[in-house]
Amino acid sequence: MNEPANRAELMESVALYALGVLPREEAALIAAFIANDLEARREYLDLRAAADALAHSAEEPVDSATSSRMKERLMARVRATPPGETVRTRAQAAYPAWIWGSGLATAAAVVISVLTAAQDFNLRADLRTAQSRIQVLSAQNRQIERVAAQDRRTLTDLLAPDAKRYEVAAGTVVVRRDRIYFAFSKLPAPPKGHVYQAWTAAKGAPGMAPSVTFAPNADGVAVVALPVDATRVGAVAVSVEPDGGSKAPTTTPTFVKPLT
Amino acid sequence: MDPGVRLMERVAARDVGAFEALYDGYHRLVFGIGLRMLGDPAAAEDLTQTVFMKLWTAPEAFRGGSFVAWVSRVARNRALDVLRSKAVHPEIEIPADLPLEGALDDDVFSRLDAQRVRDALSTLPPEQRALIELGFFGGVTHQELARRTDTPLGTVKTRIRSGLRRMRETLGERVSR
Repeated sequence: MNEPANRAELMESVALYALGVLPREEAALIAAFIANDLEARREYLDLRAAADALAHSAEEPVDSATSSRMKERLMARVRATPPGETVRTRAQAAYPAWIWGSGLATAAAVVISVLTAAQDFNLRADLRTAQSRIQVLSAQNRQIERVAAQDRRTLTDLLAPDAKRYEVAAGTVVVRRDRIYFAFSKLPAPPKGHVYQAWTAAKGAPGMAPSVTFAPNADGVAVVALPVDATRVGAVAVSVEPDGGSKAPTTTPTFVKPLT
Repeated sequence: MDPGVRLMERVAARDVGAFEALYDGYHRLVFGIGLRMLGDPAAAEDLTQTVFMKLWTAPEAFRGGSFVAWVSRVARNRALDVLRSKAVHPEIEIPADLPLEGALDDDVFSRLDAQRVRDALSTLPPEQRALIELGFFGGVTHQELARRTDTPLGTVKTRIRSGLRRMRETLGERVSR
């Protein structure tokens, strides 16, 4: 990763990272580079200050009617939000706060009990539809939040000054706390019908256990989180394997790295 | 110290008055970012609501440093989410909001305003300024910048780097006057 030619290329991308115009995988790679290179870090801090300042140029006078309307709307929501309540999604926010959570079933029961039989049938159907829709939206929202949280954690780990870094062919192995990542910048595409596969060796154990398979993008970039407890791993390796992976390496590993 | 930092401490203690002051002080910035990136006043208004509700319901998300820089990134990230939901923009990554040792933005930001930044932007050659503004507010990748401006990728990188360096120098000079 820090070979002179490659380093110059990475340095060129620091400004792009500071401006926030890199695709996710490349951004993770540059984040790891910045964390590991003092000059890059200095440049990043300088350029990020300039990039952040750009936001100021967008500041607009807001006419008093719009400003008051926005503030009234916002403060009404703030006063209706009990301390400690988490942010509700846009879909949730479309409904009054009192019908959410455990209050939903109670409120629905009260409403339904005072209506006629015909209305009762339609309302029940509508309520079931709404509940199903809410469940789907909630599940989608939870999934998006999980992915975003995972991405944030990966970036934080790659950037962290306390992470251990091991140079390997075409990239770096990053270990932080109980987590291990591979960050490759120039990984050649595997042969057709093949993938890269990660391997881990438990501390003191002679053999390698199979881990995830992966492939780089068109630019040779891949950032991979290994689903393993780093505190128990003594070495990692990568080899080229047939699609779907193997139970034991079938080719000579592209690298084997002891995590000392 | 950035007054937003002190207000956020009070917001974390559920002080509605501090939250109102925070809104009064920074809603033009958040609304402006939304308007510039989304191009629609109604969408910018929604974005402003969402960002400020986040400040109220999850004040712990602010972990120190420059409040203005942080809230700008929150607003920009939210606008990017909106743009992505329209399925025309790729997944780009805004630098993580990490407390960074020796960061300069706190000092710079505490003395900046819109006019100073616009003045600094106006000192850039037009080709640098166009790429930087399109990149920052357009929510597009560097490859897309190259394609849209019909500029080689290497030139895009060089112009952005030179432009940001020049901006940083100019802003540094201006705030120290």
